Amino acid sequence: MSGKVAFALTAPVGVLLPFVVPQYSLTVLIEALIFGLFAMSLDLMVGYCRLYSFGHSAAYGLGAYSAALILTHLQLPLLIGIGLAVPATIAVAIPIAWICTRSTGVSFAMLTLAFAQLGYAMLFRFRDITGGSDGIVGIPRPPGPFGMTWFQGKIGYYYLVLGCLFGSYLLCRAIVRSPFGAVLSGIRENERKTVSLGYNTRAYKIATVVLAYGFGGLAGALYAGFAGFASPELFFWLVSGRVLIMVVVGGAGTLIGPIIGGVFFVFVEHELSQVTDLWPLVFGSIFIAFVMFAPEGIWGIVTARFKQKPIVPSSAGGEETSDAAA
Amino acid sequence: MPLLECRGLVRRFGALVAVDAVDMSLDAGKIRAVIGPNGAGKSTVFNLITSVLKPTTGEVIFAGEKITGLPVHVVAQKGIARTFQLCHIFPALTARENVRIAAQARDAQRWRFVGGGRVRNRSAAIADEALEHMRLTRFAGVAAAMLSHGDQRLLEVAMAIAQKPRLLMLDEPTQGLSLEETDRAVQILKGMLGVGNLSVLLVEHDMEVVFKLADDITVLHRGRVIADGPPAAVKANADVRRAYLGGSE
Amino acid sequence: MIGFILAQCLSALSQAAILFFIACGLTLIFGIMRIVNFAHGVIFMLGAYIGYTAAAVSGSFLVSLIVAPIVVGAVGMAFERIFLRPLYGRRDGGAYLLLTFGLAVVLSELIRIIWGAQPLSSGIPDVLRGIVVILDQPFPLYRLFLIVLGLAAAIAVWQFLERTRAGLLIRAVSQNSEMVHALGTDVDLVRTGVFGLGCAMAALGGVLAAPLVTAFLGMGTTVVIDAFVIVIIGGMGSFLGSLIGSILVGFVQVLGAYYFQDLALAFMYFLMLTVLVIRPGGLLGREE
Repeated sequence: MSGKVAFALTAPVGVLLPFVVPQYSLTVLIEALIFGLFAMSLDLMVGYCRLYSFGHSAAYGLGAYSAALILTHLQLPLLIGIGLAVPATIAVAIPIAWICTRSTGVSFAMLTLAFAQLGYAMLFRFRDITGGSDGIVGIPRPPGPFGMTWFQGKIGYYYLVLGCLFGSYLLCRAIVRSPFGAVLSGIRENERKTVSLGYNTRAYKIATVVLAYGFGGLAGALYAGFAGFASPELFFWLVSGRVLIMVVVGGAGTLIGPIIGGVFFVFVEHELSQVTDLWPLVFGSIFIAFVMFAPEGIWGIVTARFKQKPIVPSSAGGEETSDAAA
Repeated sequence: MPLLECRGLVRRFGALVAVDAVDMSLDAGKIRAVIGPNGAGKSTVFNLITSVLKPTTGEVIFAGEKITGLPVHVVAQKGIARTFQLCHIFPALTARENVRIAAQARDAQRWRFVGGGRVRNRSAAIADEALEHMRLTRFAGVAAAMLSHGDQRLLEVAMAIAQKPRLLMLDEPTQGLSLEETDRAVQILKGMLGVGNLSVLLVEHDMEVVFKLADDITVLHRGRVIADGPPAAVKANADVRRAYLGGSE
Repeated sequence: MIGFILAQCLSALSQAAILFFIACGLTLIFGIMRIVNFAHGVIFMLGAYIGYTAAAVSGSFLVSLIVAPIVVGAVGMAFERIFLRPLYGRRDGGAYLLLTFGLAVVLSELIRIIWGAQPLSSGIPDVLRGIVVILDQPFPLYRLFLIVLGLAAAIAVWQFLERTRAGLLIRAVSQNSEMVHALGTDVDLVRTGVFGLGCAMAALGGVLAAPLVTAFLGMGTTVVIDAFVIVIIGGMGSFLGSLIGSILVGFVQVLGAYYFQDLALAFMYFLMLTVLVIRPGGLLGREE
């Protein structure tokens, strides 16, 4: 239940923040929240289903470019534009998910990477539509529907992002606790067994990937609307790498951990990058350290402390105490 | 009409014929044990029936329907539940959750990805019942990985019965169990039979268990059926004795 | 006409040679450790960059051919010893995936920091510059050199695996490491050695590729996918498979670039998708 506690604590903080921090920091904060959402979307795959993706930047890029194209060419209201980017991303995600889930493990990861690289290549191939290496610039934030304009300013956009993040978190939380989510944990723990119980695990995996792309696409769309441009770097493999690092370090399989990881990293990166050129190196090293010594991630460590250590009565008599299994 | 029928099952791995023209049938409400020396092909036959492996030739017929080659999860949905030789459970989940997920598999609403509270309650009730049956209720909240080997095997059986199957396939359920645990398991299994017309297919090495439980026995040796019949007949069968004492592998 | 076809074939073979260096290393590592070294592409890139520096400092291409594989091989062995070895026996196979990925990121950044973001090239060494005319078709001497070297390496590795005691150990460990361990061999040492060898080969590929494509950031990503496709086609863990696969992919790449210029970038990915869709578990050799 620490999720509810954290939520209750952060909600008022989140609402009040824009009035407390300077404008400049607000920009970073918005980017941080967007990345937190992006990281959480990957957690559905990595943390709950053990589907390691090296290509989640594709979700981000798809969302960003969908929103960019819709807003620039169709002049639809911002909210509608961002809203439509999600089903657009999902539509592309379905065949991708179908193909990738034919494999497992490394092959799966390689396939996701291949699709991200493919997306990157496609951007240059169809440069008339996508603007090639320049990308799409000057993305507007058209008002409406109903003449709403509160999101056009920075503080307003902050609330938009915050709302999307909270809403997505609640939705993901519900998903994870549902019967569907229980099957995901079964797949994570022992896929063979889950299949033998009668579950079509392939379908569940496809659904998970599509959901992850959906939320990732939302993050990308929010970014496009915020930054005002979409460029090919969004598809680059290092973006996939960054978000994977955030998920693992934040705490895979906790939803909150990756959000924190994402937010934290954007801030640290922002500060560090002004001081030194070495920050990606630092991140990479931290990542390796966590993989080796603390695979449950920051939030995993934090929540473990609050969990009871179960006392195990063994059938032979006598008792053992032990930590909750990782 | 028998509940389960294997007709001429053959499974080759390259030059090795692991299962060679195996015929077997099981009537509803009965227990059949499949025995044989190591490497006889018992687990392979199980894998062929549950579609984990596809037969090279031959058919598997369940409740009058051909299920050969159907996807594994489809076969399970038809009402076949199995345990594995190397115990397969969900280690990090609690015992209760392990069984609940198994129970959920037959729920029509199991696909629900938001809410689903009623599905949870239904499957939890079945799970608690199964745990009770296997006398594992006191471990309900414990992570499955923490259980002793014997209890894990019983947990796996609990998962199987929570699926409310028509056919229960147990692959060496007493392997690694102590004498006391084995007795307990036999008692539980005996108690389950006759309830709801449950049929059981059992691979076992422990002959005492086999003779206590089985209505019929199939003896495999090097992939072939060398004897098939009630326990007394099999016990007396010379071929069977030779296979076990012949020392060949 | 025949000359043209021959030139295309030779071009494909020279491409295959470079691919072979990388894929062979990848498959050897998989055979012995059952992990796919995701950092292999970046190792290749590291080889290219170190080769550049070695050539610049010593003025000799030959020196870079020797120095780069040794240095990178040592780096590989150190990485295996320090980071990979402690993870043996972890239930979650994802840890290796993440670790080698982390290595790829860290190495990538290190390269960027040390050598900068601009592509570097020392060009083709003078002694290997020049054109050879085959059946009225001009063909770069350097590419012939690549084919020769690739062939030599293939034979060398083959003989090493088949004829030497070390090679026997490697083959044994990749089949049944426990048995080999029980017989008294230090399996850990074999693993470290093979990892180093695999990295050294990839680095050699990098040194050889640099004069053609220049050493640039990002050369690792494309190549790791190529190598992965080859290993999947040829069978994970199969040396012969990596050879055949390299030749196959070499031809596909050269023909693809010639006939589908526009989609050159995308072509490789289509190939990989096709292979993995048709045979998700791989074609020959051992499964994951």
